Amino acid sequence: MSTTTAVVTPDVTTAAGAPSPQGAPRRRSHLRKRLELALLIAPATILFVTFVFLPLVAAGYYSLFDWNGFGPLVDFVGFDNYAKALGDPLFQGAISHNLFIVVASLVVQLPLSIALALLLNGKIRGRTALRLLVFTPYVLSEAVTAVIWLSLLQPHGVIDGLLEGAGLGGLVQLWLADQNIVMLTLFAVITWKYIGFGIILFLAGLQGVPDELREAASIDGASGWQTTRLIVIPLLAPTIRIWVFLSIIGSLQLFDLVWIMTLGGPAGASTTMASYLIDRGFRRYEFGFGSAVAIILFAICFVFALFYQRFALRRDTQGAITGRVE
Amino acid sequence: MNTRSIRKYVAVGAVALMSIGALSACSGGDGDSADGTTKLTFWHNGTTEPIQSIWKDAVDEYEKANPDISIEIVPIQNEDIDTKIPLALSSDSPPDIYFSRGGGQLATQVQSGQIADITEYTSDWIGDLGKAAENWAVDGVQHGVPYASQVVGFWYRTDLFAQAGITETPKTLDELNAAVDKLKAAGIAPIAVGGKDRWPDAFYYNTFAVRECGEDVLKKGLADADLSDDCFTKAGQDVIDFIATEPFQDGFNGTPAQQGAGSSAGLVANGGAAMELQGTWHKSVMQGLTDTDLDPLVGWFPFPTVDGGEGDSTATLGGGDGFACTQKHAEECAKFLEFLSNDDIQSKLVESQVVAIPVKEAAASTITDPVMKSVYDFNTDAAYITTYFDVALPTAAGSALNDAVANLFAGKGTADSVAEAVKAAK
Amino acid sequence: MMTATALAPRPAGDKPRPAFSVMTPVRYLFALLIVGVTLAPLLFVILGGFRSNAQINSDPAGLPSPWVFSNYATILASESFWRFLANSTVISVAATALAVGLGSMAAFALSRYRFRGREALYSMFTVGLLFPLGVAILPVYLLLRQLHLLESWVGVALPQAAFALPVTIIILRPFMAAIPTEIEDAAVMDGATRLGFFWRILLPLSRPALVTVSVLAFITSWNGYLLPLLVFNNPANFTVPLGVATFQSQYAQDTASILAFTALSIVPALVFFIFAERHIVGGLTGSVKG
Repeated sequence: MSTTTAVVTPDVTTAAGAPSPQGAPRRRSHLRKRLELALLIAPATILFVTFVFLPLVAAGYYSLFDWNGFGPLVDFVGFDNYAKALGDPLFQGAISHNLFIVVASLVVQLPLSIALALLLNGKIRGRTALRLLVFTPYVLSEAVTAVIWLSLLQPHGVIDGLLEGAGLGGLVQLWLADQNIVMLTLFAVITWKYIGFGIILFLAGLQGVPDELREAASIDGASGWQTTRLIVIPLLAPTIRIWVFLSIIGSLQLFDLVWIMTLGGPAGASTTMASYLIDRGFRRYEFGFGSAVAIILFAICFVFALFYQRFALRRDTQGAITGRVE
Repeated sequence: MNTRSIRKYVAVGAVALMSIGALSACSGGDGDSADGTTKLTFWHNGTTEPIQSIWKDAVDEYEKANPDISIEIVPIQNEDIDTKIPLALSSDSPPDIYFSRGGGQLATQVQSGQIADITEYTSDWIGDLGKAAENWAVDGVQHGVPYASQVVGFWYRTDLFAQAGITETPKTLDELNAAVDKLKAAGIAPIAVGGKDRWPDAFYYNTFAVRECGEDVLKKGLADADLSDDCFTKAGQDVIDFIATEPFQDGFNGTPAQQGAGSSAGLVANGGAAMELQGTWHKSVMQGLTDTDLDPLVGWFPFPTVDGGEGDSTATLGGGDGFACTQKHAEECAKFLEFLSNDDIQSKLVESQVVAIPVKEAAASTITDPVMKSVYDFNTDAAYITTYFDVALPTAAGSALNDAVANLFAGKGTADSVAEAVKAAK
Repeated sequence: MMTATALAPRPAGDKPRPAFSVMTPVRYLFALLIVGVTLAPLLFVILGGFRSNAQINSDPAGLPSPWVFSNYATILASESFWRFLANSTVISVAATALAVGLGSMAAFALSRYRFRGREALYSMFTVGLLFPLGVAILPVYLLLRQLHLLESWVGVALPQAAFALPVTIIILRPFMAAIPTEIEDAAVMDGATRLGFFWRILLPLSRPALVTVSVLAFITSWNGYLLPLLVFNNPANFTVPLGVATFQSQYAQDTASILAFTALSIVPALVFFIFAERHIVGGLTGSVKG
């Protein structure tokens, strides 16, 4: 995954409305409630709408123009910008690179995180220290991570040196300069950064898997693998859902690592949608075009979110077992 | 302390911070301080020595002579500055004096409305700088001032050439290819190129175009951002053919041009490669990346001629570096640039080999190194110099051209790709 | 189902009985491996700062010999490093205070008031989850330009706070909703207003969740690179990640200094993390368990 922050997506519908104080006239309390609500909700809503929704709407508008960012918007081009972007092999490549990270995260990081969490779930000394240490890369900024790995991956740098020292000199590649390898290299760096987060997240999730269940299963004759597959993993489902959501959103907006380590190169082999957007929109003074790219990026995120909602709204069996309501 | 009071303090503190911030944000960006000094910001791309010190010394000297002026120097790495300047021109507080290569790039920047017209402030002295200054004027309006002219050619290691048994510098493309073969046979990487930054790739396309295209076709093509003439297609094919001879170092698509010992400049400086097609600034960049004195080891020859090319054989690719002014302190900026153009600073630039072709003729007499002198003479004798295409063209088209050539270097695209990319970017 | 499994050796993945299971050394091995892989790059950076460029070029993966202190010393003595720290602090504290302050108020309303359009409003914030700052950056930049907030820390703190609101509200709302109505009724009967209840009782009770969202907002803000990159041109205003990246680009040949600078920039994050770790992980645990 490549993630930004942690989130929970319960679907809570509880409400706790306080009854109006006994004896107060309805009209006055109603007005008062309205005012209270306004005071509580308005600031957040205004801030959010101003900086999240308004820009989105504005981008939709700008995207219909050919505009270099200076002066008024005069050159209306309709959907030309969208056509240009979607038809640009570089942008198509960018989309495919983002998708690669999404899929690779699901296929590699997810099982790896779960497996490592399962492995580390036993009683070992120094668990707290382990948690701390493993989580550290997550706390670093992507920018700093990029600088660190840029240094490590230099030709004849540390990684090459270690490989050669271990007699694996044949494995040395041009990590950031080879078009065919660069996305794999970036994925490896992303994995380094976020695997600890996944392990911790799943360790936490495993707390919710009662030992009794596993023991009962093994008494019933289930093998360890069967227990894992049929009981533990389904019980981890809510955690998995959270992880998947964060991972996908993070993968779609990948920028910092790419911009600092490769600038999208070589020859666009590591361009992501976000780096394409910054390069075209800002460096080339193509703000109308960049806005179209931003809308496309948003649309892609939206589609993923819709799929995720579908997937997440499936009723899980664990609701029946643990009594937890989703 | 209970939670409630902690929260109160945090809230109060946050509000206080915000108010201070809001106040400072409002008053920020003001270039003049209370004691009457005018503050100017000066962006340049000389992040290495010796040029960084040359600019710093110049500013110190100017401030001493003009106590009412205070100049803040901001060195920005060359690759970052092309991102930073568009952003700055978009903001309320662009730098007062900033690095500019003139040409179509400057013309694009002028559209921001932030670039100052310094024609009247410079009319007295800009003539001393010769024809070069015209590149910093847009539609007859002077916006900036150059401090160096440049040409592009092959810097090469004389010792490595000798090692490979190359006795004469290549004059034709065939001779260049032969030299490449000899170097490969001697186990030396023939040519270093900073593919990661893309513009070094573009130098190849640009110089092939200069060889293939007649002067008028070339100039018109660039002025109209229309590279549809056949000669440009031929240039594209030349690039593809040249890359096919595999003359470059390993991993050339990911090598930066000037940053660090692993850059293409560092390669030549440390003997890891024998040649590099670069501009006149490159000698100084290479020297900065090694402790060995490069003067006896580095030579220069112009881009070889191409059979059947319609361009003049003494023509070349080139350009210049300079500075431009923004509106807020236009007059002060122009005065500072006048100072920067004086013979003394020009000579310093020449002596440190940062600049091979000063804009002031007087400074040219201080060139002592024979290699630098040969570069200077070549420039004087050149039939015509064509500005680097990504500078001559408007920024969007220029970037598209660089990207398209970088794609050729990565094995993607055809002989027409570059012209098509430029067309699409208009 | 067979009953012989009790005699079969315990396969991998099972929780071992205490003491001598075959799994325990395996666990330790993997734990060591993971910690090693995680920490090795950081160690390289920290130790690299104690070497000279010559040392690094000749032996990339070696230990410092001799130990060079000048890299760290120069950076610690440089004004710009501390300036970056100060800038980051101001921005992150402001963004966090704003996001948590406004977010908790909104979460309170969304969790304990009934009104028309409540779920719609909540959905609006949820939608913001899938629309991170990186996607909106171009129009946000243009908006900041219009508001004349470029080159100002306010121009970074406000958008960061806005984009932190969805996470904040989504974590806080169920937490606040779970606080029993009896407490609120009791407070009201004692004469408190609902807002008073919010300020004096609900917020203190929500402290664990508040700390979690604060920590998350703070980390996200502190680690932000793209927004500061676009908003700040004057190096005096740079934040830490932006400063590190710019330093790396500018002094590309001075690897030792870059490593020292990077190492120093990690220190605040690590310190903060050590103190906040309980809350990050605890908060995640709480959220995951529902």
